[in-house]
Amino acid sequence: MKRSRSVKLVAMGTGLLLVAACEEAKVDTALFESVQQCTGLGFTAQECEANYKEAQANHVNVAPKYAKREDCETDFGAEKCEVAPQRTSTGGSVFMPLMAGYMMGSILSGGRRGAGQPLYKSANDRSTFRTGDNKAVAKTTGRTSVAKSATQTASAKTRTVSRGGFGAGARSPMRRSFGG
Amino acid sequence: MERIKIEPREDWRETAEAHGFRFHTIDNERYWDESACYQFSLREVEDDIEDPSGELEQMCFQVVERALADDAVMARLGIPDTFWDFIADSWSQQHRNLYGRFDFAYDGNGPAKLFEYNADTPTSLYETAVFQWVWLEQAIERGLIPENSDQFNSLHEALTGTFGQMGLSGLLHLACCKDSDEDEGTIEYMADCARQGGIETRLIYIEDIGIDTQGRFTDLQDDVITDLFKLYPWEWIMTDDFGKNVPASNTRFIEPGWKAILSNKGLLPLLWEMFEGHPNLLPAWFDGDAGAAALGGDYVRKPLLSREGANVEIFQDGERTVSVEGDYGAEGHIIQALHPLPGFDGNYPMIGSWMVASQPCGIGIREDNSMVTGNNARFVPHIILD
Repeated sequence: MKRSRSVKLVAMGTGLLLVAACEEAKVDTALFESVQQCTGLGFTAQECEANYKEAQANHVNVAPKYAKREDCETDFGAEKCEVAPQRTSTGGSVFMPLMAGYMMGSILSGGRRGAGQPLYKSANDRSTFRTGDNKAVAKTTGRTSVAKSATQTASAKTRTVSRGGFGAGARSPMRRSFGG
Repeated sequence: MERIKIEPREDWRETAEAHGFRFHTIDNERYWDESACYQFSLREVEDDIEDPSGELEQMCFQVVERALADDAVMARLGIPDTFWDFIADSWSQQHRNLYGRFDFAYDGNGPAKLFEYNADTPTSLYETAVFQWVWLEQAIERGLIPENSDQFNSLHEALTGTFGQMGLSGLLHLACCKDSDEDEGTIEYMADCARQGGIETRLIYIEDIGIDTQGRFTDLQDDVITDLFKLYPWEWIMTDDFGKNVPASNTRFIEPGWKAILSNKGLLPLLWEMFEGHPNLLPAWFDGDAGAAALGGDYVRKPLLSREGANVEIFQDGERTVSVEGDYGAEGHIIQALHPLPGFDGNYPMIGSWMVASQPCGIGIREDNSMVTGNNARFVPHIILD
């Protein structure tokens, strides 16, 4: 048979949580709860500090944000949330989970690539470190290997400064499709 | 290969609507046309369409290698030099391609001849993969066609199976232009396939894409666009205001940048130069090249970047006999030996051979009343029957 065995369309709606492809490349990295843990594993103090600072800086951007502390605590646990530097559009406080740890970028032979990433633990699964976009990374600290996508900076809320820079090509008349 | 008149399903319009196929009729003209179907033998499909498609894809990769090794070729294709490194990186980092469509002239006798390769923004995907398939199943069930009919069409399975292997890093954005039902239907279908492949998706109009202070592209929720499927040609991206931001944006594009080399009609003379005499190729040259004289007075002149037949001209005995309107051509032209599409009762079918992840996986046929397959072509289903 040279045709599809079945053709199924799923309903439109909220997307599924990403399931990393089984063949996804793994990279070596290391997870820590503190800078001391990092130096204890043989990394230089300078390296550990720099990584921690990067993770902290990313934390502010990639941590999930909540308008109510209790909503944040529902997801991340009692006393596990803090006030974020951001403000709501009406000037109210914004809450985000505390960093539960951080992860180095991938460790390559003799060097490190990618910035330090903040990690979190959810209220219903205290044993797993997760990224800001809820990818499970590992259950323990120390050297480990993780899916490459997990070491990349989580999709970050940002501030758009300009729109409409694409689409000029489509402004020609009399087209029904812009493909071919 | 035959064209067979058959009975349309009386409820085909309702069926189309129920399957989300909203553009079955466009500007009151029938686009989906099941009053006929094309019948192929399995040998015709496998030996004359499927195998050559796989071979041509490999030849195209050699053209990419050649273009990237020679700035003169990149310049000849009219690709802005600010994108050469970006394109080379997308190739050397093996950014994966999702799909493409070879267009062939074929009548069942002799080799299929390649007219062009829609390697970047091929359309007619949904109707090929889904609605043509649904038609086959129902037409068999209702006795409109023999029950041992088959179809060369595993496009849907190939798409859903491929998304998970694309190396996507997270949320996949899918973008098309505003004001096209057809393109919107296509990206909705593509998103559906991606979700079935385990990928989270979000749709956006290309005009709504924004940029942040770090030069990253953003969506309407101010989320960074890390992976973007764009039903929007590379050559427009390159000349748009945001084009200059593309190389440093870190966005992963589908199709990848290197497809800009293949979606250019300059591919055709490059293929001919490298594989002259190949049975599936028509002689072709860049306009103005010395070799072009060998074609005499019978040839087709096509702009490097034309789509849907726009600005194509046909010359016979040196006289221009067909000329299609449009606003392409400033970028340069190629000329290709004239090989008229075969006529079946006054209908001229073009066979679109689909590639997913560089594997041939189905065909969709568009027929027009003229020899240039344009925007008014109708989609006609096919069967395999021996």
